[in-house]
Amino acid sequence: MSSPKPLQLDLPVPAAAPAQPRVPEPAAPRVARVLPAPPPAVDAQAQPARLWAGLSLPGIQGSGQLEKLAEFALRLSPQVSPEPPDGLLLEVGGSLRLFAGIAGLRAALLEACAARQVTVQLAFAPTPLAALVMARAGRSLAVTDRAQLGSVLGPLPLQTLRWPPEALGRLRRMGVRTVGAALRLPRAGFARRFGPGALAQLDELTGRAPALRHWHRARAHYRRRHELSCELTSHASLLAELGRMLEELERFLELRQAGLMQLQCRLLHRKSPASGCVLHLAAPAAAAAHLERLFAEQFARLMLPEPVRALELEAGPLLPRDAQAQALWQPGEHGGRVSGEAHRLIERLRARLGEESIQGLKLLDDHRPESTWIGAEPPALPARAASPAPPPVPGAPRRPLWLLDPPQPLAIRAGLPQHHGRLELLGEPERIETGWWDGEVVRDYYAARDPRGVRLWVFRERLPPHGWFLHGIFG
Amino acid sequence: MARLLEHPAIWRGRSAARLPVIASGHAALDAQLPGGGWPRGALTEILIPRFGSGELTLLLPALAALSQAGAARWCVWVCPPYQPFAPALAAAGIDLERVAVVGGERPLWAFEQVLGSGACEAALGWARRVQPRDVRRLQLAAERGRTFGVLFRPQRAASESSAAALRVALEHAAGELRVHLLKGRGARGTVSLREPPA
Repeated sequence: MSSPKPLQLDLPVPAAAPAQPRVPEPAAPRVARVLPAPPPAVDAQAQPARLWAGLSLPGIQGSGQLEKLAEFALRLSPQVSPEPPDGLLLEVGGSLRLFAGIAGLRAALLEACAARQVTVQLAFAPTPLAALVMARAGRSLAVTDRAQLGSVLGPLPLQTLRWPPEALGRLRRMGVRTVGAALRLPRAGFARRFGPGALAQLDELTGRAPALRHWHRARAHYRRRHELSCELTSHASLLAELGRMLEELERFLELRQAGLMQLQCRLLHRKSPASGCVLHLAAPAAAAAHLERLFAEQFARLMLPEPVRALELEAGPLLPRDAQAQALWQPGEHGGRVSGEAHRLIERLRARLGEESIQGLKLLDDHRPESTWIGAEPPALPARAASPAPPPVPGAPRRPLWLLDPPQPLAIRAGLPQHHGRLELLGEPERIETGWWDGEVVRDYYAARDPRGVRLWVFRERLPPHGWFLHGIFG
Repeated sequence: MARLLEHPAIWRGRSAARLPVIASGHAALDAQLPGGGWPRGALTEILIPRFGSGELTLLLPALAALSQAGAARWCVWVCPPYQPFAPALAAAGIDLERVAVVGGERPLWAFEQVLGSGACEAALGWARRVQPRDVRRLQLAAERGRTFGVLFRPQRAASESSAAALRVALEHAAGELRVHLLKGRGARGTVSLREPPA
């Protein structure tokens, strides 16, 4: 059935593998542009060869634990691919220098697995599948050269490839028990008998064909529930528990280079509906200490109907965070810019006093004094004023600095308004007449002085019953 | 050494005091104020007989100058007794982009946060009951945040001691505003300012 001719044709395959054109690396040309005309040694370092760390985790329970481990692995490399049910792959060629070489990476991974009480076999190889297969076979080696891969993979049992038992049985009956033996089989015949998928896996194993992987993407939604070991009532101990959750949140955000502007904390009770509070931040933030301080302000206002059994933390949408640079000058010193201070002030005031506690002012185009301004979001503080304030119009009527909203009715005696005594009207009245479409205003405004010397802005309604009102104080 | 001498807490007599100041915009008052203006980075206490005694008119030129200054910092009004009227502020040359109004239940706490935050060029605060130790905290916060802080208090507080860098009392009399300098590095005396026509 299998003639010697294709066998001979296929013999040089493992040896020829290094001569194959290398899989193009997307990062390579960019790095070369960053370092123009580098010496050869630097060039070799700037284009790290692909190296994969394969983890075999025989005792892992469920996909949750694997995902947590993948989250951790994202700290070591941006390219992490979980291999359910019990494998994990990381591309570490670019991380070698940062984490003190293979030894450093191995120590970091083993420590992470030990902390999660997971048994692990760890291997390094130039192709992902080879790293995984070596780990599954318990060969904790580090192979960096693709030429040596054939000799390392050769003696490994074929079961490590996790092919269907029926295919493995047929191969066993053919006397093929190791990976090396399978690699030596004629390619065309192998594909016909065991399917192109199995051949593609062998190619992937030796690096003859590029490997396609699904990269693990960090989840962009944060929601955690923390069951307390005993019911708590004191704000201080609740805050301590919350602080631990916030530290985890900070690590979560750091991994994603993100910050959040909204964070909800819910305190769950036995019977009563959950109490809670929501933080609204003025700028994307992640620091646990800062968030904890804001929650401390919120908790101070919170009345708990019952002891708390569990804490729940849910983050709003994650936003890209600007790395904070420490300015040389303090704000206000030599034109130092205000960056974080204004946001922190808004957050602190809002956390303690409520959402409406800080407002900006905005002018509106309207003749009615009570409609000429509106409370707005606190201004964002442009580095320079957008335009210098317009010079006061000469002859424009003077306006009071204080406005009473709503106007305060004045008592009338002998036809004249009273406020701590008889008011003395100064100058000519100013007629303001507008707004027939929503709340008509027909008034004569006067500047007035009360007996104590305070100057007031009063008006008389021109419509019956001709009431007098105090509307402003010149201040 | 030079930096040490510039520290606001060290008093070296009238001639040596080189505090950063902002001109009040009233020449007669500037001549009497230590350093030639309102102290920046310190607390000024203004004692008024009642709201609307001309205290805002007195401050407007300085606030307008500060709001046009280069460093983008706020001018914050903490718990004002009435609504500040935006058109009047704009007419006085104050950049409304840099004005924020803080309300709420805790004027002293909010005022201290605002003064110490470093985000404000000027901060005006109104509080009903203020203890001497509160004034001390406010003064320290103003130094920390390099803010021109103004605390408005009723006239009867004149008998209490105060840690504010400058203390003035206002008085109305026959169409003019009298500014009594009560305390502040060598400042003594009374300045009379004419009220602007209504």
